[in-house]
Amino acid sequence: MSTTTQAEVVPMAGEAASSGRAARRQALGSWMLLAPGVIWMTLCLVLPMLMMIYVSFWTQHTFSIDSTLTLDSWEAFFSTPTYLDSLLTTVRLWFITLALILAIGYPVAVFIGLFVRNKTLQTSLLVLCVVPFWTSFLIRVVAWRPMLGTEGAVNIILLKLGLIQQPIEALLFTQYSVVIGMVQIYVVFMVGPVAFMVSRIDRSLIEAARDLGASTARIFFTIILPLSLPGIVVGSIFVSVMVLGEFATPSALSGGKVNLLGNIIVTQVGSLKWAFASVCGVILTVLMAVTVVALLRIVNLRREI
Amino acid sequence: MERQPILRGLLTGWTALFLVFLYSPMVVLAILSFQSGPEGGPQFPIEHWSIYWYRQLFNLVPASSVAPLPLGGALLRSLALALTTMVVSTVLGTMTAQAFRRHFRGSGVVFYLVVLGMMVPGVLVGLGMALTANYVGIDRTWWGTVFLVHVVYTYPFSFLVMLAIFNRFDRSVEEAAWSLGVSPVTTFRRITFPLIFPGVLSSMLFAFTLSYDEFPRTLFASGGDLTLPLAIYGTFSVEIHPNLFAFGVLTTLFSFALLAVYATLMTLSVRRARRVAVQEEIA
Repeated sequence: MSTTTQAEVVPMAGEAASSGRAARRQALGSWMLLAPGVIWMTLCLVLPMLMMIYVSFWTQHTFSIDSTLTLDSWEAFFSTPTYLDSLLTTVRLWFITLALILAIGYPVAVFIGLFVRNKTLQTSLLVLCVVPFWTSFLIRVVAWRPMLGTEGAVNIILLKLGLIQQPIEALLFTQYSVVIGMVQIYVVFMVGPVAFMVSRIDRSLIEAARDLGASTARIFFTIILPLSLPGIVVGSIFVSVMVLGEFATPSALSGGKVNLLGNIIVTQVGSLKWAFASVCGVILTVLMAVTVVALLRIVNLRREI
Repeated sequence: MERQPILRGLLTGWTALFLVFLYSPMVVLAILSFQSGPEGGPQFPIEHWSIYWYRQLFNLVPASSVAPLPLGGALLRSLALALTTMVVSTVLGTMTAQAFRRHFRGSGVVFYLVVLGMMVPGVLVGLGMALTANYVGIDRTWWGTVFLVHVVYTYPFSFLVMLAIFNRFDRSVEEAAWSLGVSPVTTFRRITFPLIFPGVLSSMLFAFTLSYDEFPRTLFASGGDLTLPLAIYGTFSVEIHPNLFAFGVLTTLFSFALLAVYATLMTLSVRRARRVAVQEEIA
């Protein structure tokens, strides 16, 4: 780390002398600090992603692949109903999950960020939302099994309350259980950023609007919603990244009935169909890239930090 | 708006329900971890309360039809991996954030290159790393390929945390030290590091927990030796037993212990910073 601070000293002297040599040394210092990270990300992230695109055009044999280029795997994907279904399921469950997370998490975030005046209580509530994150992801997924089964806690409570006569069987091992599980696990990634943005809203702005006679709805749509938008965008990016890449929750909670693209990738890799898995991977990447780029057009992430 | 009692009441109720939704699976899981064994199943009713499944985790009960979870080696591997990832990712994150304190050409590209690490779904990073390793002809191992992709994931978090810290950092303190002729090393040790310490601590906490619990990236990038999440995932394919629940409770307690250490160190550093500030005021 000592080189870090040396690099800082040089520009100080350089500014006084305002020489070009100092500017060059300053740039060199910056790049020496940046190089390890940039190299790491290039070799371990960019290169593997390019490799995936490349392999998606390789020739797939039963248990091996070779690097003869072909479109076979791509044609197989787009001509097999199972895989197209899986693509549609992925997109559908992603939209449903994201919409539910927004509907459930947004009011919570507004409550914590705006309605709770006491800073200590506000922090405590946020911590309370984040605490489940510190239990292993897979354990949290599997915790839904004793909740949702026919003999599960939800059915027992509903039966005891007399709300239902028969246990609801559709709760576990269906797409509902997958959506419920994903909403519970990922909702905190929406609540956090939105609560953060809402808590930064200058309260005198709201006071002024009310003094001028604005209705609650008007205050919400012209002040709170626009100012919380960066939070919604960041939250949506987080949730989308994680839901689109999901395969553990469907495989643990759907009993094999829900197959997202992630599940197809896992199955294909399991049977050494690397080229085909890569095709699914590239399709997921495109889906993800379009989403992130579209969301980042709404808000500039760098300015919000 | 915050003063409307009906709206406030509704939102309070909604948030309470939300917390119930968030916590109920863990509560049920914790209750069921005290199921009787070895015949008690992973559901209600509790036949009678016992700590059988906790003892089974540590092989303290006679062998039964339920195999113990194969966790010992996996736990050690995950801890070693998380610790190494934590250190490397924090160092990388601090270096990059330090470079971002000054404007340089291409900063936009570098920013998004780093942040990309948390924006690409994990399963794709794992797949890409597996393909690359196969192509280059290196073995996939938990201490090699898995370590590389874990840092890809945690480094962006460390970077963003440190960037946020540096953005709120008063440069004049460092400059004052230099102009008084204090050496760069001493300046870093006595001035810069104490100021950025809360960020370093948060970055370490993030990197450790993310790596310790990381599953999708690990699945394809690892070889034969399992990390903890992989071992847990392996038990999903067979019938689950309350020993998994007992294990879940123990890992959660471990995480809370970790959080407590973090909170203590954080409080101490904030208090120290305040004391220094007060001393300066007096002087």
